[in-house]
Amino acid sequence: MARYLGTRLGLGVLTVFCVVLLTFVLMFVVPGDPARTIAGPRATPQVLALVRSNLHLNQSVVAQLGNYVVGMLHGDLGVSYVQDQPVTSLIMGRLPATIELGLAGLFLELVLGGTLGVWDGLRTRRSRALAVVNVGFLSVPTFSLAFLLLLLFGYELNLFPIDGGTGGTRIVLPALTLGLFGMPYYANVVRDAMQETLAAPYTRTAVAKGLPRSQVLRRHVLRNALSPALTMAGLDFAILLSGVVFVETVFGWPGIGQLQTQAFYNVDRPVLMGTVVVAAILVVVATLAIDLLRMLIDPRTRLATR
Amino acid sequence: MTAVAVEEGLAVQDLHVRYGDVHAVRGVSFSVAPGETLALVGESGCGKSSTALAIARLLPAGAGIEGRAEVEGFDLATARGRQLREARGRIVAYMPQDAMAALNPVQSAGRQIAEVLSFRRDASRSEAAAGAVRLLDEVGIQDPNTVAHRYAHQLSGGMRQRVMLAIALAGRPRVLIADEPTTALDVTVQAGILALVRALVIEDRMALVWITHDIGVVAEVADSVAVMYGGRIVEQGPVQTIFEQPSHPYTRALVSSPRQSRFAAPKAPFDAIPGSPPVGAFPGGCPFHPRCPVALPRCSSAMPETTTVAPLHTAACHQLGGSS
Repeated sequence: MARYLGTRLGLGVLTVFCVVLLTFVLMFVVPGDPARTIAGPRATPQVLALVRSNLHLNQSVVAQLGNYVVGMLHGDLGVSYVQDQPVTSLIMGRLPATIELGLAGLFLELVLGGTLGVWDGLRTRRSRALAVVNVGFLSVPTFSLAFLLLLLFGYELNLFPIDGGTGGTRIVLPALTLGLFGMPYYANVVRDAMQETLAAPYTRTAVAKGLPRSQVLRRHVLRNALSPALTMAGLDFAILLSGVVFVETVFGWPGIGQLQTQAFYNVDRPVLMGTVVVAAILVVVATLAIDLLRMLIDPRTRLATR
Repeated sequence: MTAVAVEEGLAVQDLHVRYGDVHAVRGVSFSVAPGETLALVGESGCGKSSTALAIARLLPAGAGIEGRAEVEGFDLATARGRQLREARGRIVAYMPQDAMAALNPVQSAGRQIAEVLSFRRDASRSEAAAGAVRLLDEVGIQDPNTVAHRYAHQLSGGMRQRVMLAIALAGRPRVLIADEPTTALDVTVQAGILALVRALVIEDRMALVWITHDIGVVAEVADSVAVMYGGRIVEQGPVQTIFEQPSHPYTRALVSSPRQSRFAAPKAPFDAIPGSPPVGAFPGGCPFHPRCPVALPRCSSAMPETTTVAPLHTAACHQLGGSS
């Protein structure tokens, strides 16, 4: 187990490093000069040169990368060009809001998609009901769904405040957007797993024991059928945690996604890099956590212990 | 054990199974006394597994059953809802061929046995767990305490089948339906399980129906034999009679097929039955007539009636001079 964890963590570090490398290179390929953004469009070449040397932008790319990685290992992701604050404290300040929204979105996805999937998987008479719901929600882009909810429940019905920020019922609409967006994927995965599990010989064994149907479903069908959804949720959670750029922007939710958008417009390289690095770390950690959780649920994935 | 006034075992009468248009089992009748074993023999597609699943009431949704399958006055074939659920495990238990697939991969062997006990006997969690270990011991598992905590993928094929047997026995059923449970096992492991099931059947006074295509297994396990072909029983009788005086041409071909072939492939070609059994659509008249070496003209038009060859020994063949 220690060896397995060591390998996984090593691979995780390697993954994060590759992401850093790739993003770093991308930062230099994309157009936009941070020095000019900071100094303004009418700055003299002298001022630009001064800004560049202050930000170490006159160093070689390799040297800058080296500095960045060394800083990262010390928990220092640089200072924002725009807000004059350390990137780490900017991200940490945004993380709670993102985690809150991420968890709420994931919860709704799982509940809505899981319920729909279980319901459709249990029906003996086949119909296209789920397919219609699924195709419907899959075809609606996130942004129109977000605006639709915003207009209907926020503006017309005035059920939820739409003034941006966190607190109170402000989480409902962004979380619902995320939930409805993810729902069809979960519904499909759970429905397929339900059908497979219901037809499995071990389910027949459970029926042959004379167990009540509820017990057959609870003990034998659901546990096996929900395992693929769990794997999916792990990856989803990592993605949600790294900030859902669009939903956070539409609802003015002060999370990492919003931070990222602002950084993008401002060519605020350290913040942009920081959000990407944090996202990479979160994905690595969440994947590992899900694999460990699956070992707990499914003994077949447990390592042979001798 | 509890004293039962009349021990009847299992009595199947005119059982039919239909999957939509496919009439897979076409009027099967037999009976098995408590403590006795009936081997239901036949090739793939002859309807033996459909018969087994019908009696155990585990046919897939959409399959139709007609006829009767009575155990001590209780008709399994027509039981529904709560009555049927109460009968499962207690009146009839089922042992499948593939134990690996039939065990829940995410539950320990012990829990899957204990589940029956806690449900059927209202046993507490610890009582049920202890009962599961006792059952594992009863089915001949060397280290039942350890095996109870193992999962299906951690057990050998023979152990998995023993766990399935323990699950089947947990409800103390009156009838056990064994659907080729040893087919996938090594010959030595198979012999051990055959002997064990045999002993338990006699001890518990269960009626055992053993489905197989392996005529060698029949000799080891059965008291009586029913040979199926094309959804019907073509011959039925005590095991010795079937082996020594088979009257149906199909049975004759079956029992003369070399039994030793499992140990060493015969160099010389043996007498295979030409052709293959019908699947889905059966020919008119006697279903065996297209492959029968001694078929008469009327075999293709009229279904032979079941005639009594000797006491307890019946066969359905026009060669036997049936009245129709």
